[in-house]
Amino acid sequence: MPMIVGHVRGHSHILPDLDEHSKSHWFGRLDSRAKIVGIFSFVVVCALLTKVELITASLVLAVAIAAASGAPVRSLAKAYAAAFPFMLLASVSVFLFAGIERGLEMLGRTSACVIALLALASGTGTFGLFAGLRRLRVPATISTLLMLTYRYILVVSEEFFRMRTARKARGFGGGRSLLDKYALNTISFTAGTVLVRATARADRVYEALRCRGFSGDITVWRTSSLGRSDLVFMAVLLLSSGLLAAIQTGWVQW
Amino acid sequence: MVVLELKKLGYRYEDGTLALKDVDLTLEEGEKVAVLGPNGAGKSTLMHLLAGFRMPFEGDVSVGGVALEEKSADRIRAMIGFLFQDPDDQIFMPTVEEDVAFGPRNLKLDDVDSRVKRGMDSVGVSTLADRAPHRLSYGMKKRVAIAGLLAMDPALLLLDEPTSGLDPRSRSELVKLLKSMKRTMLIATHDLEAASEIVDRALVLNVCPVMKGTMRDLAQAGDVLRSAGLELPPLPMLFETIGQKGYEVDALPVTMDQATAELTRVIDREGRRRR
Repeated sequence: MPMIVGHVRGHSHILPDLDEHSKSHWFGRLDSRAKIVGIFSFVVVCALLTKVELITASLVLAVAIAAASGAPVRSLAKAYAAAFPFMLLASVSVFLFAGIERGLEMLGRTSACVIALLALASGTGTFGLFAGLRRLRVPATISTLLMLTYRYILVVSEEFFRMRTARKARGFGGGRSLLDKYALNTISFTAGTVLVRATARADRVYEALRCRGFSGDITVWRTSSLGRSDLVFMAVLLLSSGLLAAIQTGWVQW
Repeated sequence: MVVLELKKLGYRYEDGTLALKDVDLTLEEGEKVAVLGPNGAGKSTLMHLLAGFRMPFEGDVSVGGVALEEKSADRIRAMIGFLFQDPDDQIFMPTVEEDVAFGPRNLKLDDVDSRVKRGMDSVGVSTLADRAPHRLSYGMKKRVAIAGLLAMDPALLLLDEPTSGLDPRSRSELVKLLKSMKRTMLIATHDLEAASEIVDRALVLNVCPVMKGTMRDLAQAGDVLRSAGLELPPLPMLFETIGQKGYEVDALPVTMDQATAELTRVIDREGRRRR
């Protein structure tokens, strides 16, 4: 979920462009199941790392995955910036209880995880990502909820941008100071209207789905099987994650 | 065969406002009927009610012989193809082809491939099969939404303001498409000009039914339409003005063919009178 929110917050206006971009890039064309399995394994291993050298190596690998994804650096940076306050909060908490070294380790670990997940989210068509989860036997309730959440986040953000434009078009320029009572009033009315409109729109979207026989499961019609490049990509990530885990646990001596 | 039957249909919104009252309507197989009325007349409410989204209501509704009630709503929705006013509410899947296949797959209909092909062919979007629907023009999105309905092969098409928001060219293309389709249709619109081209007959609605008849009957009753908040389309309005100028007009035309015939008659009569 934070991944989706970060994804939308980072570049809500260019989401469709990213989806188009992901179709044209080799990383985007990889089977989403291979990417999900590979990157999630990497993330799980990253979360367990405690050695500084390994955390550094995982960060380098995460950046390499991000570079390979071909996602625009700017949008990745924006999405990372959106997630950064949460990572910082976690790191500061650890720093307060366990010292600066542990705090920095936490920041490194979470950064590696977030960068890898952002690369997955940005370098894969959003729908393909959820469809991949469904094909990996994630229960229909979860994958459909993710798809609907994504659709409704877009509905709410569309309404928000429309309202913001309408507000600006009528000369509103406030909102920069917390002491500006008029601006705060206007913003709260906007938020209320956005919610009401988005709810009405969401009802229509749901009714439209029901009209076409929707009963709680959304699957993709045209599916492909795993190809050689998908398997190679997955194997590289699984091997790298396995190596990191082996060194961390001491099974392999560095 | 009767596809849709409404008897004494009435509906109130949750706040008690009367939305529909005493609506009677029957649609035979293959018939195209328009529900005309100004904004707030209850057209969209009627459409949503027929798709089983507004309950409880007064009176009786049956689609394909099945009475509409809470239990049967899903069954009835499977018989209906509902085109929403805004295609962005309706289009969901990542490609045109996937979106057209969405309904047939959910309803577990047979031969999805040929249904999708037929649906896309009939509205002219076959070349866009792999395109992302959200990147298409508004008119094309409407076509994709219609293709999705046609692939379900519904007994009844409910079209809510199909021409709204379209540029003149897309509008005229959509009108031609709907005119050419041999389907049972109920079209809610305030676009009398488009309705004149597409439908056989119409019901003028302003919460209660105001008038029923062919589009030509309606054109003769300009005052009734105006009192119901509608304007005559340009063609009958032109011939009404011609009549007011002293030329004898038999009946106000609503289509171009009727207008050509009527104009020829007026010119002939005027020529004879002058000789």
